[in-house]
Amino acid sequence: MIRKCLAVLAAIGLLSLPGTANAAEPGRKVVKVGVTQAVDSMNPFLAVRLVSGQLQRWTYAFLTVPDAKTLQPSPDLAESWTTSPDGLTWTFKIRTAKWSDGQPITADDAAWTFTKMMTDDAAKAGNGPAVENFASVTASGQDLTIKLKAPQASMLDIPVAIVPKHVWEKVPDIGKFEADQVPAVGSGPYVVTEYKKDQFVRLAANKDYWRGAPKIDELQMIFYDNPAASIVGLKKGDIDLIGRLAPPDFESLKGDDNLVQWNAEGRRATYLQVNHGATTSDNKPIGDGHPALKDPRVRQALHYAIDKQKLVDETQNGLARPADGSIIPPLYKSFFWEASGAEKITYNVAKANEILDAAGYKKGADGIRTMPDGSKKLQFRFSIHTDAPSEEKLAEYLTGWFKELGIQLTARRLDSSKFTEETGTTALFDIAISGWSVNPDPEEVLGTHLCSRRPTASGEGGGTESFYCDPQYETLYKQQQKELDRTKRADIIKKMEQRLYVDAPVIALYYPNDLEGYRKDRIASITPIPEDKGILYGGSGYWPFYTVEAVSQDAAAEDGGGSSTGLIAGIAGAVVVLALGGFVLARRRQGAADERE
Amino acid sequence: MSSLTWVRRRRSVERFWGDFRTRKAGMIGLGVLVVAVVLALIAPLFIDAGVTNVVSGTGEKMAPPSLDAPLGTDESGRSVLLMIWWGSRTSLLIGFLAALLSMVIGTVLGIAAGHFRGWAGAIVLRVTDWFLVLPSLVTALVLAAILGGSTATIIIAIGVTSWPSTARLIRAQTLAVEARPYIERSLALGAGHWHITTRHVLPNVAPLLLASTTLEVASAIVTESTLAFLGVSANKTSWGTMLRGSYDWGAATAGAWWYILIPGLCIVLVVMAFTLCGRALETVLNPRLRTRAA
Repeated sequence: MIRKCLAVLAAIGLLSLPGTANAAEPGRKVVKVGVTQAVDSMNPFLAVRLVSGQLQRWTYAFLTVPDAKTLQPSPDLAESWTTSPDGLTWTFKIRTAKWSDGQPITADDAAWTFTKMMTDDAAKAGNGPAVENFASVTASGQDLTIKLKAPQASMLDIPVAIVPKHVWEKVPDIGKFEADQVPAVGSGPYVVTEYKKDQFVRLAANKDYWRGAPKIDELQMIFYDNPAASIVGLKKGDIDLIGRLAPPDFESLKGDDNLVQWNAEGRRATYLQVNHGATTSDNKPIGDGHPALKDPRVRQALHYAIDKQKLVDETQNGLARPADGSIIPPLYKSFFWEASGAEKITYNVAKANEILDAAGYKKGADGIRTMPDGSKKLQFRFSIHTDAPSEEKLAEYLTGWFKELGIQLTARRLDSSKFTEETGTTALFDIAISGWSVNPDPEEVLGTHLCSRRPTASGEGGGTESFYCDPQYETLYKQQQKELDRTKRADIIKKMEQRLYVDAPVIALYYPNDLEGYRKDRIASITPIPEDKGILYGGSGYWPFYTVEAVSQDAAAEDGGGSSTGLIAGIAGAVVVLALGGFVLARRRQGAADERE
Repeated sequence: MSSLTWVRRRRSVERFWGDFRTRKAGMIGLGVLVVAVVLALIAPLFIDAGVTNVVSGTGEKMAPPSLDAPLGTDESGRSVLLMIWWGSRTSLLIGFLAALLSMVIGTVLGIAAGHFRGWAGAIVLRVTDWFLVLPSLVTALVLAAILGGSTATIIIAIGVTSWPSTARLIRAQTLAVEARPYIERSLALGAGHWHITTRHVLPNVAPLLLASTTLEVASAIVTESTLAFLGVSANKTSWGTMLRGSYDWGAATAGAWWYILIPGLCIVLVVMAFTLCGRALETVLNPRLRTRAA
């Protein structure tokens, strides 16, 4: 609420701000990417946000990278790999290449990176679960050997940036290291050459990159406080590309001949999280969820009362796909599951009412149902974020539909840190909005519904997205972990999605499209991931920004100078922006679940 | 004796009304208010909360005024006219009750601060001053955020942040009243605190209170709209939430002037009416503001 006023003011201030980063010299090919999310850390051991993940993808090599066409794991720093028959020993052959400071890359670097994460708790902050199952990691020359405690199918999708041992072993305390000195030593297509926190990151092309240098000379990432300001920046030409747009912002790009509106399948699923009787990891009840939601029939009735197509049209401006599946979006074709036949739940209020009638929830004189024992009315709270118009609209629709079921729904607006706490740890909610951006290997998102992810007895959050604990789901999870055959594994994962769909601890609503915009007078070509209608910014891999081709500056070099009145207004605006921006960012710093990768 | 009092009171009401009706602006304000309040009260006879339900909004989105929707539709195809009508209930209810709450707190503390000298009065006065310098909008935002969104909490949030000016006003009047000789006589005859404050002070501050409360309703309605625009609302359609909706859903870029203008004009109109009424009341009731009788 307060943030909103500030955002508006900041937008006004930024309208008149002159160019943010240094002007490019003629002849240099520079691409500027705008982002509205702040970098939480430049240290790959600590960072969790999507923006930081993108920077890691651009500056460090990973063992493997999703293939640009199929999204299946393909060689990156690891040239090739072998597995022992029991699936417990993996040997990766590390490519002969150089760090950006000229030192050779060896298996020792990778072994050091993984061992650091296994032995130093501070280094687990970013990607701890990725090495949970590692027993030991050893190196000899270019051969990296990882021994596992149990078989793990997601071994070829380890989201860990390999850092240079010769630089990082000198760091005394990894948990406090900001890794912001430049030039950073890396092994990706770009090298960070300048970093101003919350202002910009400059990345120079890595001329010695083993795949060959990128086609542009410099990539810049420019930070904005809010989407409105970034849209103005894109229209003015301060930035060349911006990803992760909300539908209204995306639609405001319409009609500008220089702009390309990028609309493709997204990697995210939006779902309702239902408090079906939350428990802690020692099976003690926690929170104050409504008892009726423990009944799967009630959850199913709610599912029947949601018109997903209508939600897509009204809250997402039609720029999403209604979800007939679960938490994995259709972008990941091999793992995507969709209900069909009798199992498929379609909008049907009459059927929903039948289910509730049969289950004994009788309507009272006021039209609201009560528990079968008459103890409590079916009045649920719906937790949403403050300052999220599409969630407000969603709440209005759900309230309307549930009313026809004799269920009263009341929206509860929470700021993001309180929201995360109440829906992820203390379970002080009935129904909440949630969502997750899924990686090419879905293990992470599947893991958010495991028993072990529930909060501990002492109230420490474990990263659960549903407080779910279901024996059938657990068994399937263990099976897919061991299954090294990709097709067979996909079948097991689909069964897990089916279980979530039927039991409804979460109810998938829609898969938002990936909405982006870029200037075609600056960007000549850019390849999404996957290549066929994929994602530009925010995808898993460096392909789009490795392959990006800029329009040469000479062709587009007709920038007018800013007028002096504009400058004065800009300076006045900048003072306001700096003061307010600091405040907004301070609030933003507490990352919402929404912002995590 | 009591019949004598009543005659006196009736006469004073008649005198007041005679005076008030000569004020044109005040009468116009009163007229608008009566219409607005009556419309809000009879709304349930014609429509119900369903008109604000998105599910039943079947019209075209952001459609300009037409026969079906005389004032156009919003982003979900709901009729702006019907939403304004139903929303007036929330806006007026919150305005009146918040002003009432503020008036009660302000009167009690104002009279207490004026009547009790010594340390008790000083403490009350300091508390009032403290509330007076709190930025009331921010305080109300925080309060509403902590208490959660419901009609009652919005009323409380507005009420408890807007009483200090009333309290100050009432205290000043109390001091003036208590300086009169008949209070001293009353004291000499053995009157207690309760008798003096309720029998002598309260009737004398009441006219002023009425005028100030009328003005307070206007500011409460504006505060409610501001809070709603900033995202703190009671989950019910009010003029403020409509304005927020028009901002959130880009009514300005869509050229849907009716969605922005109509709720805004309604707020202006009703607030203006309260202000005109309040000013007229003030002039009639406060001898110092009275111009020489024409």
